[in-house]
Amino acid sequence: MTGVVEAAGISKWYGEVLGLNGFSASFGPGITGLVGPNGAGKSTLFKLLIGQLHPDQGTLRLLGENPWNNVPVKRRLGYCPEHNTLYGWLTGQQFVEALLRLDGMPRSQAEKAAEDALKLVGLSSAAQRPTRTYSRGMRQRAKLAQALAHRPEILILDEPLSGADPLARVQILRTISEFAKAGGHVLMSTHVLYEIERVTNNIVLINNGKAIASGDIRSIRALIDEHPHAVRLETPQPRQLAQALARMDHIVSLEIPEDEALLVRTRKPDAFYRELPAIVADTRLEVRGLESPDDSLDAVFRYLVG
Amino acid sequence: MSISLPTYTRREMPLLGRRHRVRAIITTGLRREFKRPAVLVVIGIGVGVTIITSIVVVLFAGVFLQGQPLDLSFFFTPASNGAILFFVTLMASVVGSALIADDLQSMALTLYLSRPITEGDYLAAKAAILAPMISMIAVFPLVLTPLVAALLGSFSWTIALEAIGLSFLIGSLFTAFYTAATLALSSLTRRKSYAAAGVFALTFGLTIPAEILAGPPFNNPAVLYASPWENYLAVARAAFGATGAPIDWRWSLAILLAATAIAALATYLRMKFVEVVSG
Repeated sequence: MTGVVEAAGISKWYGEVLGLNGFSASFGPGITGLVGPNGAGKSTLFKLLIGQLHPDQGTLRLLGENPWNNVPVKRRLGYCPEHNTLYGWLTGQQFVEALLRLDGMPRSQAEKAAEDALKLVGLSSAAQRPTRTYSRGMRQRAKLAQALAHRPEILILDEPLSGADPLARVQILRTISEFAKAGGHVLMSTHVLYEIERVTNNIVLINNGKAIASGDIRSIRALIDEHPHAVRLETPQPRQLAQALARMDHIVSLEIPEDEALLVRTRKPDAFYRELPAIVADTRLEVRGLESPDDSLDAVFRYLVG
Repeated sequence: MSISLPTYTRREMPLLGRRHRVRAIITTGLRREFKRPAVLVVIGIGVGVTIITSIVVVLFAGVFLQGQPLDLSFFFTPASNGAILFFVTLMASVVGSALIADDLQSMALTLYLSRPITEGDYLAAKAAILAPMISMIAVFPLVLTPLVAALLGSFSWTIALEAIGLSFLIGSLFTAFYTAATLALSSLTRRKSYAAAGVFALTFGLTIPAEILAGPPFNNPAVLYASPWENYLAVARAAFGATGAPIDWRWSLAILLAATAIAALATYLRMKFVEVVSG
């Protein structure tokens, strides 16, 4: 096992509810996005990684070590939980400082490091306000500040952009990128796919407690290309066009979702795009537009999870 | 418009040991408790009432305690002050019941345990927050009373110093029991109100029935062993040399110590295996 995170056949039950179901994946250095819908098992995986849950089955390694109740490995990670865990009576500065002191940082250094971290996430002006007065985006940034203020090797961020306003998103993503550029590893979860695409191509797709795909987004696209690929054609003559396209041997299905549209599924998208112009020219059918619902990561995900 | 943001750089820094990390939890906890009006009220009224009643007993011993010899056994009277039981229970409920339950509910425990601390560190810090607060009612007034009595000339310094030492020991025993029991209850639930109800049940749910069953017509003093307060009274009575104990102080001491140890161990095991689950 050589990755930053190595999971092999991890299962976790909550009573009769299955949180993770034989989850296997390897996360390399840099930024990795864990993408899945709510309830997919993302938070469970993160709790396992920070050693607060114990897997019922399987092997898990974080930075080469078993994270369960592993105090030394906790020194090397920064964790930003999804849910609101701020003590509202503490100011932003006190909140970050208190958690830094839990790392064993001397008071004077903690004060300075907290100031730096709050500045990094754009919260300097609100540092002396109680966190109960913060907006949700500000709380997210305060939580990110405490996660990275002690200079960890790996950041584990559970939905770090949840509820953040546009400026906060820019600051959070910028901070994450800078952290990775400085040699840190980041594992961040989201159910909003385009957010991941802005900072990394490395993703792990998770659903129902299982890793359904992992690797570079382009590899996942290649995986998709082995499966039916959807193309939507805007045409006033969908039936005639469907008849013409049916001659292609790689067409899986043809569907007329609307009066002037044709949805084609093909196993060979490259061949389809190459052959389509000739067919349209030969049959003299009008095609006004063409789009692939598969073009976004969102579509990749929808396809893979069915 | 361009946005200029600071950049992240990594640097190594020396870290302090476990003691400092535990102290950080205590500081955060105390900072919170001393901002809560309910805590300040309980501390103010609890410490005030127990001290005033104890000193009034000293000042007017001749009136209130006719026939009570002015020796070491006199100090069983302030030690058996019912206000101690009431305010210790109140303090344990107001402060202690929330110490772990709130962290479980708010998921703050997730943040704590994502740091390089152990469950033992966490519990030690929580105990260090609660125990001094309980001892302000269970120890401080008991220690102050012989001191005031000696300063007023009502007792010799020899007796007063002995009483101070014994008061400290039995007050600490009572503090340790309530600290361990309250943290155990707090660790079992995410709702501090449930833990607070448990503390009241532990005190009054055991003491009142035990006292009823121990008296006529039931006359079964053995049930007093079920009450922490009655066990404490039996130990205090023996320590100060007071007479009239309905139960054996040795068993009472053993029960209090064992209950404290079991509660502490159960809390530790609970925290060791607690699985912090979010939605």
